[in-house]
Amino acid sequence: MSWTSDPILVVDGLVKRFGGNVAVNQATLEVGRGTIVGLIGINGAGKSTLMNCIAGMYRADEGRVEFDGQNLIGLTPHEIAAAGIGRTFQVPRTFERLTLIDNLMIPMLNRPESEDELIALAEAGLAEVNLHDLKMNNGEELSGGQQKLLELARVMMLEPKLILLDEPFAGVNPTLCTLITDKILQMKEAGISFLLVSHDLTSIYRLSDHIYVLNQGEVICEGGVDDIRDDPKVVEAYLGG
Amino acid sequence: MSSILLYNALIGGLVFGAIYALIGASLNVMMGVLRVVNFAHGEFVLIGSFLAYSVFSLTGLNPLAALPVVAIAMFFGGVAAYYLLIPRLRYSDDAETSSFLLMFGVSLMLVSSITWIYGADIRPVNFSFDPVNIALLTVEDAYGKGRDGKVLVPTARLVALVINLAIIAAMTWFIYRTLPGKALRGAIMNRDAIQVVGIDIDRLSANAFGLAAALAGVTGVILTLVIPSVDPNGGAPLTLFAFIVIVLGGLGHPIGALLAGMLFGMVEQFSNVLLPQSAAQMVGFVMLVAVVMFKPEGLFGRKVMR
Amino acid sequence: MADLSQTAPTATGALGRGSDIKRQRRIRRAIWYALILAIVIWCAMVPVRDGNLSIYFAFMLGATMATGLNFVAGFTGYMPFGYVAFYGLGSYVTGIAVKLLGIPVYLAVPMGGCAGILLALAFAPTLRLSGIYFAIVSLSLAIILQRSIALMPEEITGGSLGMNIGVLTDRIQGYYAMLVVLVMALLTASWLAESRLGRSLKAIREDAEAADAMGVNVVRSRLYAWLVSAFFASLVGGVQAWFTGAFDTFTAFDVLVTAKAIIYAMAGGLGTVIGPVVGTVVLVWADELVWRAFPELNSFLLGLVIALLILFAPRGIIGTLIRRYPRLRNYFM
Repeated sequence: MSWTSDPILVVDGLVKRFGGNVAVNQATLEVGRGTIVGLIGINGAGKSTLMNCIAGMYRADEGRVEFDGQNLIGLTPHEIAAAGIGRTFQVPRTFERLTLIDNLMIPMLNRPESEDELIALAEAGLAEVNLHDLKMNNGEELSGGQQKLLELARVMMLEPKLILLDEPFAGVNPTLCTLITDKILQMKEAGISFLLVSHDLTSIYRLSDHIYVLNQGEVICEGGVDDIRDDPKVVEAYLGG
Repeated sequence: MSSILLYNALIGGLVFGAIYALIGASLNVMMGVLRVVNFAHGEFVLIGSFLAYSVFSLTGLNPLAALPVVAIAMFFGGVAAYYLLIPRLRYSDDAETSSFLLMFGVSLMLVSSITWIYGADIRPVNFSFDPVNIALLTVEDAYGKGRDGKVLVPTARLVALVINLAIIAAMTWFIYRTLPGKALRGAIMNRDAIQVVGIDIDRLSANAFGLAAALAGVTGVILTLVIPSVDPNGGAPLTLFAFIVIVLGGLGHPIGALLAGMLFGMVEQFSNVLLPQSAAQMVGFVMLVAVVMFKPEGLFGRKVMR
Repeated sequence: MADLSQTAPTATGALGRGSDIKRQRRIRRAIWYALILAIVIWCAMVPVRDGNLSIYFAFMLGATMATGLNFVAGFTGYMPFGYVAFYGLGSYVTGIAVKLLGIPVYLAVPMGGCAGILLALAFAPTLRLSGIYFAIVSLSLAIILQRSIALMPEEITGGSLGMNIGVLTDRIQGYYAMLVVLVMALLTASWLAESRLGRSLKAIREDAEAADAMGVNVVRSRLYAWLVSAFFASLVGGVQAWFTGAFDTFTAFDVLVTAKAIIYAMAGGLGTVIGPVVGTVVLVWADELVWRAFPELNSFLLGLVIALLILFAPRGIIGTLIRRYPRLRNYFM
């Protein structure tokens, strides 16, 4: 059944309710080690809720989340981060009144390296996304696109094995979009796995090794890019409502 | 313990409860519609009291004569204060806490101004009704065998209670049955959504602030009948009571505040009778902490608002 | 900006960097320690040159309270409107220890500080509240503590007359004790700001959920800040009892103590190390000038300053300066 022989993340029968609303209903999916998995669906399909359940921001009502063989249910977000899952946010959540250097220091605070070594790492991280010249500026002084880049650099500092990317291309101009895509592919080369949420189908189709389609909280179909592109159910979910 | 004391506590509970209900409801209008935590609310009430005192001491009329003047003056004062203070708060990092501190500053200015105008002393409001007291019922053997006692209530307090209840009824009608009232409730439930349906949220907010200020002032006028004196430093305890009431009733729900106000009035009056003074003063705050920690949506839940 | 990724240096190439950051850190520290030294010399000389003890005591007290409040309000974003609870507790524990147990005052004050930590632990569950709920509950707890002390037997707390330990303590010693506590608070502040804990706290203040997702233990970090903050307020309460020799439930739990701590810290700039000190210097000095000229306007002007600050400079003197001239960040802690 499973499309991947070596899953790093297994979500099995996950349910999340808000009052009477079922936001995520029996969602089951897998992320293969070193792959990029796309999660698509219209607004309100439950993508962000599912993401938040994996990251520990919401507590799932039912189901199982396993990361590298470790059960994640009941762990707090910082424990999940320590386990090796990083995330970005749909709307960038920069630490606005911290300098860019300090923004990148935050994920590294639990590391044993000395202060100076961490600063060097943070500077290198900023250079990776071309924000090095602004290192002593505050987060609030960045443009929206630059904040997206900063988030990407920040999550890298966690040295995660898996990154949950929530709409990394939303509100980003085409040039920046290319840069972000390149970064993601670079990280994938380095062995990092991704769960990529977006409603921008073009970039999802370009990046993903496997795609899940979420509709009204349920996974309605899955498959490779070519399967999904032509699947009538996807077309219906996006157009028919 | 004489049962007369308990009857007095019951009536006192109604009288003060109605006052607290009104103070809490007006504070909650600001809280709910504007997200403004008005730490100067007690002083808003105090302005009403002092205006009533002025009317009384200048003309000798019943302090209630000040009601319409106070209502109108406070409404427009409130609208003006809104435009002066509140819109700028949107630019701060934490608007709610900022409003809290801002209004604390305003309360210091108001107390200081009132003291400057009227002096620091507590002034009596010696208006007396005829008869001064009304005997509501007779308790047999209240003071031992054969010595009956009467439950006497000051007429002024009864009058205050009646007027207060009338205002509460009018306010409830306004909120549930009139269009502006419905807009107000809509703004409390969802401030963003209401702008979409074409309501000018700035004007609504200004009017809500004015309305709440007017209600606070009117409560202050009524308060001079219940406690016949005015004290420039009397605002802070009222503010604290108002906070207790709105937390008990649910932050931002005017109707919850009405119920909670009555409840708090009762609890306060009975604790005054049954507990040592310092302990009685503590009860309300203990209730507040307990509710916030264990039932933050308030004692009556969200249904009250619907 | 075509393909920017090609111009990005590699991680190994960047490892030699950071010298400019270190240099800026040295400048910031030098300015800060010079300021502390200036304060120490200036304040230490006051009793010797027969200066006005009360004003300088008020300054040191205000600066310590503002700095202590900054640990929790500036670094984590909580506004403890009942901060005075710790101060009052410190006064009473110190007073009781000195008067009833015969403990020397220099030991009694640290006991008060420890009592403050215990109280902060007891109040720790309130840290899960947010925004205005936290502020209101904090204020309520301060009032409950005040009334509880008023309920205690008169032989212990002195009842409505309050406590008088003036015969057992020395005013000048109390003055210097305040200076010691101030310096402790200032050093703690600069240590905290540069520590990993301090960075976690600032991240939490900006966005607790994002900090959590970046591996910061939000609950634990907040608790540490809360305990440190409470400790200093309780020390100050104890030293205040030492200096003035007398207090009661109203002066020891006066909401204006909290208010002034908040205002001083805000005036200088919450979340900066230097801000609370700058704010206190400016406002105590202004207060003194105004008070001399128009005694009756004192609290009106305090209120006006609060309102103007919130409306026009919510980030305070230092915060506003830094926002306008970001380069200043290199010079101020």
